[in-house]
Amino acid sequence: MLIFRYSARELLRHPARSLLAVLGVAVACAMLLDMLMLGGGLNASFRSLLTSAGYELRVSPAGTLPFDTGATIDDAGRVRAALEADPAVDGVAPVLGSNLLAEGWESPGEGRKGPGEASREDGPEELPGATRLFVLGVDPAEQGLYRLTSGTAPAPGGVVIGLELAEEGVEIGDTLTLRAPASFADAGRRSGRYVVLGIAEFLYSASGERSVAIPLSSLAELTDQPDRASLMMVRLADGQDPDGIADRLRAEYPGLEIASIGQLVETAARRLSYFRQLAAILGTVSLIVTTLLIGTIMAISINDRYGTIAALRAIGISRRSIVSAFLVESLMLCVVAAVLGLGLGLLVAGQLERILSDFPGLPSAIRFFVFEPDRLAWAAAGVLLAGVGAALVPAIRAMNAPIAATLHREEP
Amino acid sequence: MSENGRVLVEARDVKREYRLKGDLIEAVRGISLEVGPGDFLAIVGPSGSGKSTLLHLLGAVDSPTSGGVFLDGSDVTSMSDPERARFRLEHVGLVFQRFHLLPMLTALENVELPMAEAGLSRRDRLARAEALLARVGLADRMRHRPGEISGGQRQRVAVARALANSPALLLADEPTGELDQTTSAGMLELFQSLNEDGTAIVVATHDLQLAEGAREQLRLVDGRIQA
Repeated sequence: MLIFRYSARELLRHPARSLLAVLGVAVACAMLLDMLMLGGGLNASFRSLLTSAGYELRVSPAGTLPFDTGATIDDAGRVRAALEADPAVDGVAPVLGSNLLAEGWESPGEGRKGPGEASREDGPEELPGATRLFVLGVDPAEQGLYRLTSGTAPAPGGVVIGLELAEEGVEIGDTLTLRAPASFADAGRRSGRYVVLGIAEFLYSASGERSVAIPLSSLAELTDQPDRASLMMVRLADGQDPDGIADRLRAEYPGLEIASIGQLVETAARRLSYFRQLAAILGTVSLIVTTLLIGTIMAISINDRYGTIAALRAIGISRRSIVSAFLVESLMLCVVAAVLGLGLGLLVAGQLERILSDFPGLPSAIRFFVFEPDRLAWAAAGVLLAGVGAALVPAIRAMNAPIAATLHREEP
Repeated sequence: MSENGRVLVEARDVKREYRLKGDLIEAVRGISLEVGPGDFLAIVGPSGSGKSTLLHLLGAVDSPTSGGVFLDGSDVTSMSDPERARFRLEHVGLVFQRFHLLPMLTALENVELPMAEAGLSRRDRLARAEALLARVGLADRMRHRPGEISGGQRQRVAVARALANSPALLLADEPTGELDQTTSAGMLELFQSLNEDGTAIVVATHDLQLAEGAREQLRLVDGRIQA
């Protein structure tokens, strides 16, 4: 305990120096934690998001990822039936996705309100005041794209809206008028009125994207895409190996891209590998900064005490005890810095998350910085190890200095 | 120099050479001496005569280039570094000109330090440290840090620290070098008192008053004993 008292008081002997070291290491620790959270966070978040839908496989047109392009699966009914007939498959949820325009909405008894007001006209052009919506055509009995927060599932003539539209004032019971944009040549003239039946959280919506869901057949008709699907989500029977089944089905359906969640995460990880590389580089930099900071502070501190170290060794204090005292000093600096740094890291991660949540094309539910206790432990351990390692070098150097020669030098 | 035939420390034809900027320095040139229980020896001589080097050799702080040093019958030159550290801890007390106390520890804690290293319990350490500080006249300064007491008091703390593990031999290198004349006289009295209690003392000093207060003097010139 005497050694702990000595180490703690030595740090307090130079409060400004110790404080600067603590702050420097705390910043490095914060960066390390953020980089650890970023390095694995995106993958973990993506996996968690895909898993939350409750479907283990995704089927999309060959050469694409789900909703990666506007391509669709032809003959979707037959494909669905074939998949459902597979003994390994428990259920199939076909989805058709399309951008449509909402020409405002009406409330019973209140008349027309919202965007698109006073801009109604028939014609293929997009209306200046119309709101662009991402419309999902789903089978309400078999879907994993949204979670109802109130109301009921979409039905013919009915729509479920996302939270964004609800925040803009659209309510259950309102009527939305949807129409296909000009890009759908013949369909451009088509429109339909849908009563809002429910409000839901759409799992894959990008930030600010207004999503709605209507029955698959309604969207197919509106966009003139009969018997097509952008995506099929496949739920496997209990005990099935998703990777193995995905590989088998891919061989059986060469015209389709079939992937398990694990395989999709791998693909996404490859695409986003620069995040991991960035995290690895910056994390390494933060460890180097920690090492240099602690190494410098401890080298200065130990160099100041060469005479005392030699005297302590002369009176019989072992090298191990003296090195331990320096390591405890370094450890104390790093522990305080780690506590501050981890808190700071979580704070900064929260701020960065807010900025990055608007990253284009990614579901807003995706988290770049995912908190996991082991990341916290790794960051703390990294800083502590780097700090102790950095102190070891000057401490060992001081221990190897000849006692008598050092005393000769130090004594007048 | 020994009484009753027992020898605490013996140097047999010890030489100590080292290189300084390429030049070979012969700090100690073949010195033989014995120190027995109850001895109080003052090593005197001009600066650079090898006093401190000889003291370091006698205390197993340094190793001779040739010759042997025997402490209580043990050949310290053949010991490993950890063995010599342990030996010094248990058998030799060292006092330095600049005290070398740990500034952030109290007088009591400084004295406790060698006992903690030797593995004494906190209770035993505290009791002995208090007794030692009282013995050197610092009963009322135990909780003070070195920066809060005078130079003479610091040196007394250093003496108490040197006595922590009850060494038979106390080595002091210019112990009054940083002290005024009055304080130096007090230090001499302390050494004499400790010596009367049975502690063998060897001091390397320029201080004539201290040297004359010792039982014997050894004069070194150019690393050799001058008759």
